[in-house]
Amino acid sequence: MSNDRMSTEPFGDRRQFLSHMSSGLTGVALTQLLGPASSMAGTTHPHAFQHPPRAKRVLQIFCPGAASHVDLWDHRPMLEKYHGTPLPGAEGEVSFQGKNGNLMKSPWPFLPAGQSGKMISSMLPNIAQHVDDIAFIHSMTSRSNTHGPGCIFMNSCFTREGFPAAGAWVSYALGSLNENLPTYVAIQDVRGEPPNGKANWSNGFLPAQYQAVAMSAQQPLRNLATPKSIGADQEQATREFLRVANAEHARQRAGQDALLARMEAYELAAKMQLSAPEVSDLSRELQSTHDRYGTNDRNPLKAAYARNCLLSRRFLEQGVRYVALYCASRASAVDGLLNWDAHKTLKADYERHCPIFDQPTAALLTDLKQTGLLDDTLVLWCTEFGRMPTHQDGTSGRDHNPDAFTTWMMGAGIRGGVSYGATDEFGRRSVENVATPYDFYATVLHLLGLDHQQLTYYHNGANRRLTDVHGHVLHDILA
Amino acid sequence: MPARGREHDPRDVMRSVLDYNEFSRPRTSFLKHTTMSRLAILARLLSISIALLCLVGQADRGDADERAQRAFFEQKIRPVLVEHCYQCHAATAQPIQGGLRLDSQAGWQAGGDSTEPAVVPGNPDESPLIQAVRYRDGLEMPPDGKLSSAIVADLERWVRDGAFDPRDETPIEIHRADKSWWSLQPLPKLEAQSEDADPKNGSKIIDALVARQLAQQGLARNPPADARTLIRRMNYDVIGLPPTLEEVRDFTSQYASDPQAATQQLVERLLASPHYGEQWGRHWLDVVRFGESIGFERNVIINDAWPFRDYVINSLNADKPFNQFIREHLAGDVIAPHQPEVVVGSTFLVAGPYDDVGNQDVVAQASIRAATLDDIITATSGAFLGLTINCARCHYHKFDPIPSEDYYRLRAAFEGVRHGRRVVATEEQLQQHSQAIEPLRAEQAAVQAELQKLEAGIEQRASAELARLTYPRPKIDPQWTEETFTPISARWVKLVLKASTDNPNSAVGSKLVEVQVWAADPSPRNVALQSTGAKASGARGAVAEDFPAAYGPQLTIDGQFGAQWFVGHPAELTIELAEASTIERIAFSNAKGIDIQDQSQGATPCEYEMQVSGDGENWQVVADSYQREPWSPTHGVARLRAQVTTEAETKELQQLRTQLAGIQARIDAIPPLAVVWVGIREQPSEPTRLNIGGDPMKLGDVVLPSSLSVLDQTTATYALASDALEGERRLALANWIAADDNPLTVRVLANRVWQYHFGSAIVDTPSDFGFLGSLPTHPELLDWLAGQLLANGWRLKPLHRQILLSETYRQSSVYREQPASIDKDSRLLWRFPPRRLSAEELRDTMLLVSGNLQGTIPLATSIPNEDQTLAAGPGFRLYKLTENNVSSYLPLDVHGPETYRRAVYHQNARASVVDLLADFDFPDVAFAAPKRSSTTTPLQALTLLNHRFTLDMAQSLADRAEQSVVPGNPEALIDSMYELVLQRAARPDELAAAKPLLNKYGAAALARGLLNLNEVLYVE
Repeated sequence: MSNDRMSTEPFGDRRQFLSHMSSGLTGVALTQLLGPASSMAGTTHPHAFQHPPRAKRVLQIFCPGAASHVDLWDHRPMLEKYHGTPLPGAEGEVSFQGKNGNLMKSPWPFLPAGQSGKMISSMLPNIAQHVDDIAFIHSMTSRSNTHGPGCIFMNSCFTREGFPAAGAWVSYALGSLNENLPTYVAIQDVRGEPPNGKANWSNGFLPAQYQAVAMSAQQPLRNLATPKSIGADQEQATREFLRVANAEHARQRAGQDALLARMEAYELAAKMQLSAPEVSDLSRELQSTHDRYGTNDRNPLKAAYARNCLLSRRFLEQGVRYVALYCASRASAVDGLLNWDAHKTLKADYERHCPIFDQPTAALLTDLKQTGLLDDTLVLWCTEFGRMPTHQDGTSGRDHNPDAFTTWMMGAGIRGGVSYGATDEFGRRSVENVATPYDFYATVLHLLGLDHQQLTYYHNGANRRLTDVHGHVLHDILA
Repeated sequence: MPARGREHDPRDVMRSVLDYNEFSRPRTSFLKHTTMSRLAILARLLSISIALLCLVGQADRGDADERAQRAFFEQKIRPVLVEHCYQCHAATAQPIQGGLRLDSQAGWQAGGDSTEPAVVPGNPDESPLIQAVRYRDGLEMPPDGKLSSAIVADLERWVRDGAFDPRDETPIEIHRADKSWWSLQPLPKLEAQSEDADPKNGSKIIDALVARQLAQQGLARNPPADARTLIRRMNYDVIGLPPTLEEVRDFTSQYASDPQAATQQLVERLLASPHYGEQWGRHWLDVVRFGESIGFERNVIINDAWPFRDYVINSLNADKPFNQFIREHLAGDVIAPHQPEVVVGSTFLVAGPYDDVGNQDVVAQASIRAATLDDIITATSGAFLGLTINCARCHYHKFDPIPSEDYYRLRAAFEGVRHGRRVVATEEQLQQHSQAIEPLRAEQAAVQAELQKLEAGIEQRASAELARLTYPRPKIDPQWTEETFTPISARWVKLVLKASTDNPNSAVGSKLVEVQVWAADPSPRNVALQSTGAKASGARGAVAEDFPAAYGPQLTIDGQFGAQWFVGHPAELTIELAEASTIERIAFSNAKGIDIQDQSQGATPCEYEMQVSGDGENWQVVADSYQREPWSPTHGVARLRAQVTTEAETKELQQLRTQLAGIQARIDAIPPLAVVWVGIREQPSEPTRLNIGGDPMKLGDVVLPSSLSVLDQTTATYALASDALEGERRLALANWIAADDNPLTVRVLANRVWQYHFGSAIVDTPSDFGFLGSLPTHPELLDWLAGQLLANGWRLKPLHRQILLSETYRQSSVYREQPASIDKDSRLLWRFPPRRLSAEELRDTMLLVSGNLQGTIPLATSIPNEDQTLAAGPGFRLYKLTENNVSSYLPLDVHGPETYRRAVYHQNARASVVDLLADFDFPDVAFAAPKRSSTTTPLQALTLLNHRFTLDMAQSLADRAEQSVVPGNPEALIDSMYELVLQRAARPDELAAAKPLLNKYGAAALARGLLNLNEVLYVE
């Protein structure tokens, strides 16, 4: 199936198109059942590749809570120099939570890494080893300064709920690579859902089959397992009964494709029951692999995230099209406890979060590279917005900053070791080659062989796009 | 793929394809038109040969060059053109100034009215565009101010480098609707009809209009469906539940002797059933995006919005005229402020999601408020008018004749609406309540005054005492407070916390970051560390259910100045050391910030005793705070209160407090007035202004609360003053929307009724009757149905009756190859289109056939009284709610008997993905869902096979069947189960297939299989 999808014809064939008419999973199987008598002759596949794709699948790593660009990725030497003095022209500025104090340098030094000498926070020594493969986008901007809307903006390009996440668009456009597994998987952190929860991987107004299936190392796919009270032979007998009864029912109703599609869905469900536990079974990995990821780390939060990293690799290997992996969760009664939202105590908070994030993520990137998966896997790192270069009045943390943040991409079709765009000397605002999530996803779709202006879906009066009415491909970061 | 149009709409595909060329009109008849347009473009392009040759020359320069040029254009040029020029110089401009368009290469090549190209590639000085932006040579563009010199330099560079422009697909022709658009036209006049006209006449008209369209394609409808199929179809359609076996038998026998009479009787019985309101009410709740949590980041549950759900069900059951229903949605609180059953209708306004995170940023606040009102505007225009007025928020609507002013006219109507709850009561209830409560409040005030007087005396004496005293030790420091004492052996250390910096009487609710216990070793070390085996215990004042470690006492000994322990009740922290140690110093800290003083970490414990123990039972105090200077004078007074209070005063205090508690108990015993999520209203202080480009910080002209110009040719207009009363604005709008001469409202409504009967609507974009929406498949029929609604005084039931009794509706769903080759989805209705059950219908069916369905409405269908109303109360939940700053909704694994109610009574929190509902396309109500999808996925199979709910229903179904037959007769048992589930006996082949399963694994195993049958899931 994947080969079919990877054709480079300007328009896909009818079979591809028809496969979207049913579940993205039943795909080709149903199309064969439909036979030639369909009334769809003459229509064309809307999502066929507009150009040869560089990437087949996507891994999106999301650090919710607004991970600070000036403390992780975006080295601003002037911040060190002017530490403790007012931000010129913006003294006492009021942002999300209130007044801001003076400029505050990052609590940790930045160090050069890789051949490119990219300056990166010393809190991320393992990820630093990958900078030569990464294209940093330092000039991101958001349309919201609030976590929930910010997260869904970064995921769907809209600040309100109800729009499909990028993963849903990709599933809709490209379908499945392995029909025995979900096409789009959201792996949430052991600490809970990200801000705005399930809206981050929603199908929005796209049909339900394009939503992410939420599962993780700590939470298997719901309803996957046959109940314990039902033995394998009983399950077999039940399925046989259903097959016989449904076949006779369908036989009397020739031409009703839905009935056949539904029978096919039961067959696929059975296959999924075999494949999903297998792919989720981390015990099949070598002990040395577990050690590299840190799945048995003394810090239970790091160990849990490491297991999810390992699970991500296994999903990607087995043909899950889009994996959204979360490191940290929602806002809590204490800022910065459950996620990267360091309002009050940046140093303490990030000294908890960085070690959870660094080693497992780096191990995952290493594996993707070594196995060759990175050749056609696009890796994205996202957060919802950035943080102020100043400290929040009366605290040693930073408030929200929608005017500047960093994201990065790596892998299929990406030019490594580059830094695109820039913030001003303090990191307060993006000033050079200012970029948006629209541009970000225009680029992602481009690498998947899709034109972001052509991938549309009609909903309540508009032909909706992932990139709304904006977006430009960031050609400078393409290989 | 279900054959009904609910599935992924093939026209979406067509649209997408057409969108490729930015020709947005998705209809075959326009294909030719667009092709011609492209030829026209081509001809034009050829005529501009010189410019074209320039471009070709440049295209030859190679890929890298082009990539750079493209990047430059996309980053520097296109955004400038879009932001500064398109408003007047693009296809969407009204009008296009000077005839010049800058939204395509062809546009600037053709130039404007002057026909001189606006750009001469390679020569900025000769290009009128550049001259204009330089503001030098008379023509100054854009007119509202000169562009920055950097932008002008970019434009000059672009022209100098050859004016690379990839925008060559934009059509010259404008594709959009004007006021002659079909849906905006008045309805044709209908002859007056008497109230008791025979519905059969109407049904015949329906049949004739449908047959005519069919005949045009050489098609004809199917013969009538058989009786069992018909009653199952009608049952699901009208009340959302299957019939019982007895109902099927009765109907079948009556139908055999007189089909027309039997059908008529059935229709009457179903329309009179109170379950009708549940089924059609559920449809309506989709249309008005009714959800029971606020959405966005915090997504707090709303527990008092359910009266609106009951209101909808009751209104439909009573066949309330729909124009009245609409008016109540928009202005129920204005129409009848003291009639709760009317006021509740206006919950509609605040039934959508909104962002309530306290944002301190002024710009963000304005944009959040604008988004909140946008939800109300979008919901109103979509649900009632079938217009996408929301598309005119930033600019003139791109496809429909809707100016931005129309959007802000609606906004002016809703400007005073805010989300929230308030008392909704009759005048009598208000009066009774205040009569009961006011005397008690007076009594309460009197006792409180007495108590305060007494307390003031005591505090005065305590203050005097405080002034006399001096404390030898400094006050505690939240950053670091320590006590040193004579070395003592201890295995346990306890901090008994008695007050916090915020509360002189209790430490509950305060926080601690770290506690250290130092051993009296030659090299001192902290022995209170989790990493070396110490354990901390103590109640916590906050929990995060999905993250059990949060806020716990162990955080005080984690060795990190990060997360805090939230002090609970009792306010005590006990630390068990790894081994008995001789200790001499205990310190605590609530400082998270190390570099910079931090005052935002909440209250810190400030009155305490430190105790140690060797056995965990006998405790010895080693230090306390009592010789420290009190945290504040109030704290000092609190410390001394007991000391200065006389015995008599203590007694009196006690007495007064007892008295107050008694009064409070009597107040609590008064039944409270109902509080309902109907929103709060406030008079806007400023007139509504246009937001230029949709930016709430860029205000334009004042817009009056008035009728929309899009319908000014057909519907009587109105305009209120800019400072009109808030309620009047909504009432005026409500009356305008629900007016008989508003052709959209009634058309949109008629179309919805048709849609829910047949699965797809006449206009298949039911909330969009504009240019981008579908054209009606049966325009005359739609107008006739709309006319019937008006003739019937906006009541739905007469229309249902006419539709249900039509031959079109009663025909069979049998598939035929020949018509299917022309009209696969049966949009023309050559057969009745079969459909999959909705999520709610499926769950309700499983509950019903297993004998588990509980109802606030008796299940026996009966004719209700005119005034019989429902008060179903709060909904049940199929998720577990956890609240910790934000709300999370986790689907339940076990659905208990308290959830055995119809799914319409589920408390539908936004973004609560409940597998059984969401898998079967129950929409997340972030937006209105005027049309549901109907998908087929493996996840549905997994849920329906494996969820505990299926197992529970299967068991009940098996029990129910076993009780109804003589034991030891498997065939009778199988028959009984088929009859319960499908209202028919099993066929011989089914008996044969069922027997092995039954015999070997029991009736519940068979029942599980039966509930998964396609025949259960599809109604035909």
